[in-house]
Amino acid sequence: MKFSTKGRYGLRAMVDLAVHARGEHVALCSIAQRQGISTNYLEQVFSVLRKSGLVKSVKGAQGGYTLSDAPENIKVGRILRALEGPLSVIDENAENSGKRTSIQQCIQKCVWDKMNKSLNELADSLTLEDLVDNYYKMNGIEEDVMYYI
Amino acid sequence: MKISTKGRYGLEAIVDLAIHLNEGHVSLKSISERCGMSEAYILQIFLILRRAGIVESIRGSQGGYTLSKAPSEITVGQVLTALEGPLAPVACVAEKEDHTCERYVNCPTRGFWESIMIALNDVANSFTIEDLVDCYNEMFFQSNQIDYCI
Repeated sequence: MKFSTKGRYGLRAMVDLAVHARGEHVALCSIAQRQGISTNYLEQVFSVLRKSGLVKSVKGAQGGYTLSDAPENIKVGRILRALEGPLSVIDENAENSGKRTSIQQCIQKCVWDKMNKSLNELADSLTLEDLVDNYYKMNGIEEDVMYYI
Repeated sequence: MKISTKGRYGLEAIVDLAIHLNEGHVSLKSISERCGMSEAYILQIFLILRRAGIVESIRGSQGGYTLSKAPSEITVGQVLTALEGPLAPVACVAEKEDHTCERYVNCPTRGFWESIMIALNDVANSFTIEDLVDCYNEMFFQSNQIDYCI
């Protein structure tokens, strides 16, 4: 049971973008370099993020990507849903095809629904800003100091 | 992030086995008929669950499978982990010291993934197979129980 690379890399790339954008556009190749992800792959990921209204792009020599909204307004759940679809431990399509047995219905109610609830609540309780704060803490950087240099 | 068919079918088969324990050893054929899964697939699942000490097999014409422990002593987490491996949304948080990611230490997203792993395991470990059997009886056999009392 794993999130796909799209979700994992996409979330990391969004943190990178939030850290480095600061009102300017960031080239995908610089995110790719810092995060060790191929630019081609990031292009796919960012095309999905752009369609979901999470990032904006500007073409041209100074072009690149920036966040559509402030990091504190972007929930982690929204990023993951854009990249992965609904956050569920069960493939809803597979589970809905055909009639479900009584036991399946009771496992759904007792186990899967509760797991999904936890998953969605956790993802929606965190914003991109929280992950950016983690980034600063883990890399030993005081955010305010960064700002004024 | 999805639990595979193995995990979903395995949990269903175990609950089915638990429901029919009073009938003695339960044959794979009968589980297969009730749950609508192939016998070969259930056998594959039960071999894993036997190695994990969750089911036992008895050979012979009256043979079949039974649970190794009481349904109240087997958690949903034990069954799912046996079949799926650790319930982790990303590999590194389950691997811990054995992680292979060079960004592990400074990863700003790791804490979030860890919190999801803990939450999913909390849910899985808080339910036993007996809880699921009880839930099944409540959902589908309430009327039968009323008949019983009359």
